[in-house]
Amino acid sequence: MPARGATGALNEQQVLLATLPPSLTQKRFVLAVVLVLFAAFCATLPFVTVPVGYIREFIPAYATAMFVISSITSALLFVQFSVVHLRALLAISGGYLFSAVMTVPWALTFPDLFGETDMTSTTWGLLSRLWHLGFTLSFIGYALLKDDDATEQWPRRSVSFLVLLGAAGALVVLDNIAWLATTSPLMPSALPVSMLFERSQSYWNGALLLFTLVALVLLWSRRRSVLDLWLIVAMCGLLIELCLIALVGRRYVVGWYAGRAYFLVSSTLVLAILLSETALLYARLARSVVAQSREREARLMTMDILSASIAHEMNQPLASIVTSTDAASRWLGRPTPDVEEVKAALGQIRNSAYRARDLIGSIRAMVKRDGRNRARLDLNDLVREVLALLGRDLQRNRISVELELDESVAPVKGDRIQLQQVLVNLIANAMEAMMENKRPRILRIKSATHDPHGVMVSVADTGPGIDPAVANRIFNPLFTTKSSGMGLGLAICRSIIEGHDGRLWVSPAAEDGSVFQFVLPADIAP
Amino acid sequence: MPDVPIISIIDDDDSMRCAMKSLVTSLGLRVHTFRSAEEFLQSPSVDDTSCLITDVQMPGLSGVELQNLLLARARHMPIILVTAFPEERMRNRAIEAGALGFLSKPFESQMLIKLIEKAIATGPKN
Repeated sequence: MPARGATGALNEQQVLLATLPPSLTQKRFVLAVVLVLFAAFCATLPFVTVPVGYIREFIPAYATAMFVISSITSALLFVQFSVVHLRALLAISGGYLFSAVMTVPWALTFPDLFGETDMTSTTWGLLSRLWHLGFTLSFIGYALLKDDDATEQWPRRSVSFLVLLGAAGALVVLDNIAWLATTSPLMPSALPVSMLFERSQSYWNGALLLFTLVALVLLWSRRRSVLDLWLIVAMCGLLIELCLIALVGRRYVVGWYAGRAYFLVSSTLVLAILLSETALLYARLARSVVAQSREREARLMTMDILSASIAHEMNQPLASIVTSTDAASRWLGRPTPDVEEVKAALGQIRNSAYRARDLIGSIRAMVKRDGRNRARLDLNDLVREVLALLGRDLQRNRISVELELDESVAPVKGDRIQLQQVLVNLIANAMEAMMENKRPRILRIKSATHDPHGVMVSVADTGPGIDPAVANRIFNPLFTTKSSGMGLGLAICRSIIEGHDGRLWVSPAAEDGSVFQFVLPADIAP
Repeated sequence: MPDVPIISIIDDDDSMRCAMKSLVTSLGLRVHTFRSAEEFLQSPSVDDTSCLITDVQMPGLSGVELQNLLLARARHMPIILVTAFPEERMRNRAIEAGALGFLSKPFESQMLIKLIEKAIATGPKN
């Protein structure tokens, strides 16, 4: 019975807050924060109407804090958007940008701060409502858009265009509001829209509460990522603020201050989490990159490195032979030939030739049929070992692995290291073949019993496939289609397999790509 | 004989070093050989070499590192680099840094001879 398994590749989606699924600890933490917020809200309830008096510094300090927090949050979310291209992120970061820019006129029009007229008082209330409305609507937009397909690749230019558009959009909306606000003496009667702004306080509070609840419900029902959870916290903070404001209905009492404080706290938390999770993810990535490079260093010497070092070793004696030959002929060509120098050069040539011979001998010994290191082994285990060894590379290149290992195949007798090298090479070749793939990058490794007494392993890729014109030459030494490497890999693979009385060949895959297969004789127990 | 130019050859590979020495000597030039860049730097030849031929991959300082070191010490002798492990980037870097030539082993002796003649014709730059 073939055992099927698939390992997904790590991709951008899994390392960004906007798409990263939350861990259990993160979920509990969010729940705890929400509970603390509501507990604080409940604890405040008995005192909401206790007057505190006018604190002149409160509004400017609050507005400044909100401005800074919202701007940074917006920037962080914009960055996430430019990476994952989720329109939902554009909406939410636009919302935060809107919120940041709104705080300025909002604070400036606060009536008691500059001792202005009733007009400014209306303006401040209006701005307050619009700020909350815009902010909440961006959350609703986020929740509605968040499950959209983000896989479509937007060209780079259109991404920066959208980012600019988002920022410009928020500013234009704000400008209009500011214009409306500054022309507000005309508003009460002149514009139908102003009727809306003139509705009673309770009407507005109700509408805002409703929108916030809608945003909360949408976020809750569609929550999937860490970001979703923390946006829920932000909405809870806003909900509490709106509830308190609706409850107290006047300024400078405990509820009026506390509501803003809770919203500020929840917004700060969202920013803190965005920052800390980003830093944590960065640390995790940095660690995995370090681990990756360490693993690669320790990993089996691949044939490319091997062949490059063989080339280096071979070139030395060859260069010496060529140079000595030329030197000898120059010494001979002199008016009085220098026989001693010629002799010495010939000696060099002989020595270098021996050196080349020894080198070739040692390469042959490496892949030659040698029973000493042969042991009974299970090819399925070998496949799994090699996949574990190359796991990081496969992940990094976003290759999914499909295993179809027939657990009933007989063991074979072979040299574990040599056969590992064959598999490492076939898989490395497959990875390289799929590097430029727009199609899904799938590495399929199968094992099966091959009649009559053999075990077959195949390594298939979804790369461009092998040009039939060169298919029969790829196992020749020094034949390569790659820009780097010496083309010894497949030649050595074939000699290892043939050294094990097996066969290695290549055929085109059913759809795209190629399949490398080898068959080794089963080691039938006596 | 101060009028006979001195050619210094550095290669950790014995047979290659001897072969190059034989070839260059056959041109009628004086040859000093060294097993490593460090050995060359400690020798008096560092001051009177008309042309330096050095391997790239050697234990200790590599040929390219030696080239940079000589540049830093303002010893502007013509340098020919030879390597059994050619790499385009390394070649470009060496040529940019002012190397007279960059040969891949095995190279044609005639190319080396031409480069040496060019080096002697231009002479040391300092």
